[in-house]
Order: sequence, then structure tokens, then C-alpha cells
Amino acid sequence: MKHTLFILLQNESGALLRVAGLFAARHCNIDTLTVATTHDPAISQLTLVMHGSAALLEQVVRQTRKLVDVLDVNTLSLVGDEQRPMALASSA
Amino acid sequence: MNLPLPTAAPSPAPEAPHPRAGEQLSGADIVVQILVDEGCEVLFGYSGGAILPVYDAIFRHNAQHLRADGSEPMPLIVPANEQGAGFMAAGLARASGKVGVAVVTSGPGATNLVTPIRDAMADSVPMLAICGQVPTSALGSDAFQEAPVANIMASCAKHVFLVTEAEQLEATLRTAFEIARSGRPGPVVVDIPKNVQNAMLRFDGACRLPIPGYRARLRATAQAQLGDDACARFFTALAQARRPLIYAGGGVIAAGASTALHEFATTFGIPVTTTLMGLGGFDTTHPLALHMLGMHGTAYANYAVEDCDFLIALGARFDDRVAGVPARFAPRAQFIAQIDIDAAEVSKVKAVDWHHVGPLRGALERLLRHGRARGAHPDFSDWHAHLAALKRDHALDFDRDSVLIQPQAVIEAINRHTRGRAIISTGVGQHQMWAAQYFDFRAPRHWLTSGSMGTMGFGLPAAIGAQFARPDALVIDIDGDGSIRMNLGELETVTSYGLPLKIVVLNNVGDGMVRQWQKLFFDGRFSATDRSLRRKDFVMAAQADGFGWVRRLERKDELEAVIGEFLAHPGAAFLEVMIDPDAGVYPMVGPGKSYAQMITGPFIAERNESAIASAQTADMF
Repeated sequence: MKHTLFILLQNESGALLRVAGLFAARHCNIDTLTVATTHDPAISQLTLVMHGSAALLEQVVRQTRKLVDVLDVNTLSLVGDEQRPMALASSA
Repeated sequence: MNLPLPTAAPSPAPEAPHPRAGEQLSGADIVVQILVDEGCEVLFGYSGGAILPVYDAIFRHNAQHLRADGSEPMPLIVPANEQGAGFMAAGLARASGKVGVAVVTSGPGATNLVTPIRDAMADSVPMLAICGQVPTSALGSDAFQEAPVANIMASCAKHVFLVTEAEQLEATLRTAFEIARSGRPGPVVVDIPKNVQNAMLRFDGACRLPIPGYRARLRATAQAQLGDDACARFFTALAQARRPLIYAGGGVIAAGASTALHEFATTFGIPVTTTLMGLGGFDTTHPLALHMLGMHGTAYANYAVEDCDFLIALGARFDDRVAGVPARFAPRAQFIAQIDIDAAEVSKVKAVDWHHVGPLRGALERLLRHGRARGAHPDFSDWHAHLAALKRDHALDFDRDSVLIQPQAVIEAINRHTRGRAIISTGVGQHQMWAAQYFDFRAPRHWLTSGSMGTMGFGLPAAIGAQFARPDALVIDIDGDGSIRMNLGELETVTSYGLPLKIVVLNNVGDGMVRQWQKLFFDGRFSATDRSLRRKDFVMAAQADGFGWVRRLERKDELEAVIGEFLAHPGAAFLEVMIDPDAGVYPMVGPGKSYAQMITGPFIAERNESAIASAQTADMF
């Protein structure tokens, strides 16, 4: 099952490394990852696609919420083949 | 969706301004001032080029603020190796609950701290590591003694800061302490380039970094109250239970909840077993105590887990040393309840029927009030009688008739003197398990052991740190010949600082725990675990390092007298005991096995047919 995570994080040095490192350490493969600053330059939006069970998703989301720089985590899970192309637009 | 980020740090409760607010201070002096403000009374660390300004500031601070008795207000204790400094800081933190602080230089100084930082993370120990770093202008240039500490430590610590803006130093350090001790405690690393240490800065006295996400989650967890409905559901389940059991972990100690646990358990008559990390969270001599559960837990605790119908996990995380096979752990439990400060631990390993995420002490007190107000008075006398029989029939025991000294007898002899009141640290392996099994633990923070990481070499430096935390306490390092070798250089640290530490080396001439596994699972092929060709004379080593009382014990009939003399010595004492090299740690729940397949060994009565014959080399570890 594919899951998309929307992670808002403080734009601190090493913040991206900590998120990516957490996924690697928790044996959770990242399929795609994009990062961009939001209209508030102190905040980055990280969009991440992973695959795995619902239990894996829940655990990795809970672990992500423990990262000090992380402000918010939201998820979107697509079942089966319903995945649709997704466009990310930045409105700076 | 975007959250507004406060532009200014949240101001703390209105207090008198800091007496030094507005002063121009160097970054290094700010480091020292924050350490003083946060209540730090001792530092552990090894000097080097990139941390020189901070070391100089510590020297000046101590010289200018000598106490009336001539002692330094914040002595800097120098180990043989930075790993020693890290474990000393951890030992202080574990023995006192305060944040332990290590201060080291860049590059190898910082990388030598990786193991203690990971160890502290794995056991939720509050620590601060301050690392010197090459100047910001040299960052990323492969400079002398440069290492990507923020990258390396990001995988190991609760949080890492690399301070590239000097103006952020003060707020960063204050926030680092806050992160280390709040929520589920853990180690925080602050990497400070040398030019930041030298920068002249205006001292604010109160500023903190905005960490809105962390603080919001912390506040939500801290304020989470157990509602009446949740309490009612808990007590409805308890009323239906006939065999309830509390499974208490290190969270009880971290939360300062041992008194609340005692009240809760005794009020409702619920027996308590603790994890390795939870030892001391509930008085092991209490009639309701079942001592430790798990891979090397007591047989009666593990049988109680098999038999219980209601399991209450408090600050415990069902790790693989407790629940090797989660599906078959507590197989008869109709209802499992869990309270933890960390939402990620709830149902991580084993699904639970009821849970609460929040501070443990408050949650237990809330349940207690609710139960008392509604007159909850469950009768578990049949269960108590059942457990009393288990404790009688399956008590810990060992080969008491052997002519060789049994390690368990050494622990028992020491325990007859200390009665659960000494602070005990250990290395990792068989001696660690014998100490966990045969000592009494009557209060929290008397048991310092590397639980999750299982770091050999932890015992000696952790004991040193604990002795600084509790100068008047009897601190004993129970070590193994393999473990103590790992940080043997710290023997000299003991005598350099005049510590009255007691060190016991249970010498079985090898890596006993690994040998035990090789015996069980690898047909006795002792690959790389035999040390009989090693020439080390531990007695001469301790003498060379200035220990005032040193002894090697080889005769069983001298055990009692020697232990008495050893513990009575007022200064540093070192006792090597040549133990039966074939002594094993039992009971043992093999890797990948359930409690029903527990091996109780030759000296403890077992309840079921053992599964030892079918012991196979498992992928489990």
C-alpha cells in the first residue's frame, strides 16, 4: 500500500537528514521525496511517498512526530491501483 | 495548514531577570553560565583543540568561585577515553535523575561519544553532550579533527544542534537541557564551532529556541488526563480479572512514579514484576514483588506472565528480551492495559485493549483516586496464594555444593551486607544477569545497567559518575573480565579522584554469556570467547592504578570473610573473584521462544517439559 506523508518541519540545519535518517533507521523505504520552503521561510514542507503496511505507516508517523523539528504530519493512503498522478505546486 | 512560527522565543514564567542579563560574554562563558543555571555540579570530558575556549572558561569559573572548603563548584572530571566520560555522565544521570553532561572536543572526541549517546537514547537517559567543532569557516573542508557530528549523532540522539550562528548559542543550550529532560528523556548533542565559543555576545539570561511542534506535543501529553470513562473501563476490566499482573519498566523510574506504583499495587493487591530497567521501581523484597521477568527473569515471574489474565504495562515496551514472541507473550491475558509517555510505544509490539499516553505518576494517582472513591476492593487471594507457591517452588537457585565459587553466591554474600541499599552498576553479560537476579532492589536509581544497548564496558565509568552524584553512597561495580577490559583505563580515574568505589570482577576467563549461547546453539564451538591465553593480572593492574585494597579470591571458604573486608574498606577497593567458568544464567527463555519453553536449568524446578531438546539455531539474537 502506498502512503503519502505531508510533513511540516522547521527549516533547521539537519532537519531533512533527521527525517530521512529516521525512515532509513526504521527500515522504511522512501519512494519519492520532495522538500520546499513554504511562504514562511522558517517552515519547510516535506512530501514523502512510501509503501508498506498500515501498521508500518502508523509506527513511522508516530516516530516522525517525536522529531523535535517536526511541526505536523498528515498522511494520505491510497488503496490498490487507485493511485493518481499528483502535482505539487508551490505558491510562493 | 502552515503553522505560524513564533518570531520570538516564548518567554518563560515572569521571574527576576538573570543577574548577568545584558553582560557581554564569550560563547564559552555562556556555555559555563548555562551549565551553572541548569544545576550542573560536575562535568566529564577530555580536552582538545576545538573545545579549548570552553575548557578555559570552566577553569576560570572554578578558580573564581572556589567553595569555602577549597573545592571547585563544577569540577571537570577527566576520563581515560571520551567513552568513559559519556558513561560517567550517564551514570550520574541514572543515579540522580539529573541531566548528565559530557564536554568533549571535535572529531575523535565526539565520535568516541557515539556509543554512550546511543546507549542513553536506548535507555531514555537525560544527557547533554557538548562537542567542540572546527570553526564555521572550516566546516565541510575535511579539516583536522573534523567529523560530521550532527550527521552521525542525528541517528543516535534525541536531538542534535550544530550552532552555526553565535547569537543562537545561549537559546540553543537552554533548549537542549529542556529537550533532554522533558517527555521521554534522552541525550541531546550540541556541536559548537570554535569561533562560536570565542564570539562576544550579549547574554540574555532567559531566551530559548522556538520549538513549537515539540512543545505543543509535550504540552498535550503532559496535560492528558485520564477521564472518568477510561478509569471506569479499567476498573470494570480489573473487576472481571482474577489474575492481574503489573509489568513495570524503566518508565516507572524515569517518571518518578515508584511511590505511586507502590500505592497502586498495594491498594488493589496487584503483583508486580519489573523489567531489567525497572528494577528498583518496586521494592523487590515486598510480598507482591515477583522480581524481574524476561529472557533471564525469575521462573516465578515468567510463570506469572503465562498465568495472568489481566496485564498492566507501565512504562514498559514489550521489547524482545521480555516478549521474544509477542503473540505468545501473556497468552492468557484477556485484557492488556498500557500507560506510557511515548505514544509510539503503544501497541508497537503487542496490541493492547486499553491505553493512556501521559505522565505515569499522574495517571496512577488518578486511577488510584478513582478506584478508592468507588470502593474497588478486588479479592485476589487465590492468585496471591498461587504466586506464593510459584515463588516457593521455583525460586532462583544454583549449584551450592560445588567446590568452585559460584557467581550467584558472590552476589548473595554482597547483598547480605547491602540489603538493597547500595548503588550497583554492571557491565553486560552473565554477571549483569546474576546481579539483576540475586540483588535486592529496594528503591529507584540504585541499579545502573546498559539495558537496551547492552554495552560492555558500561559498569566502571557509570559507577564513577554515580559516585559523583551520590558521594556518600556505597557504589559497587559488578563487572565481568570481558566487560571491564573495555574501559579498564578508567581504573586510574577512580583513584585519581579519590573515589571510594568498590569493584568486583567476576572472572570466568572469557565472554561467559556468548559461551553460554555457543554451548546451547553452536555445539560448544567457543569461537573467540575464550580468554585463557590472556596474561592480564587484574590484581596487579588495580595495584598499579593505586587501589588501596586489592584481592583475588579463589577459595570458596574465604568468600564471606573477604566480602566483609572488601566492603568495609573505606577507600577504593578491587576484588577479583575466580568463578566457576561453566556457571550459566538460568532461567533462560531462548531467542525466539515463548515463556512456556523456558529452560530453568539444573538447579531451579521447572513446571513444564523443557524445550531445550528442540533448541535450534534461531535467527533471533
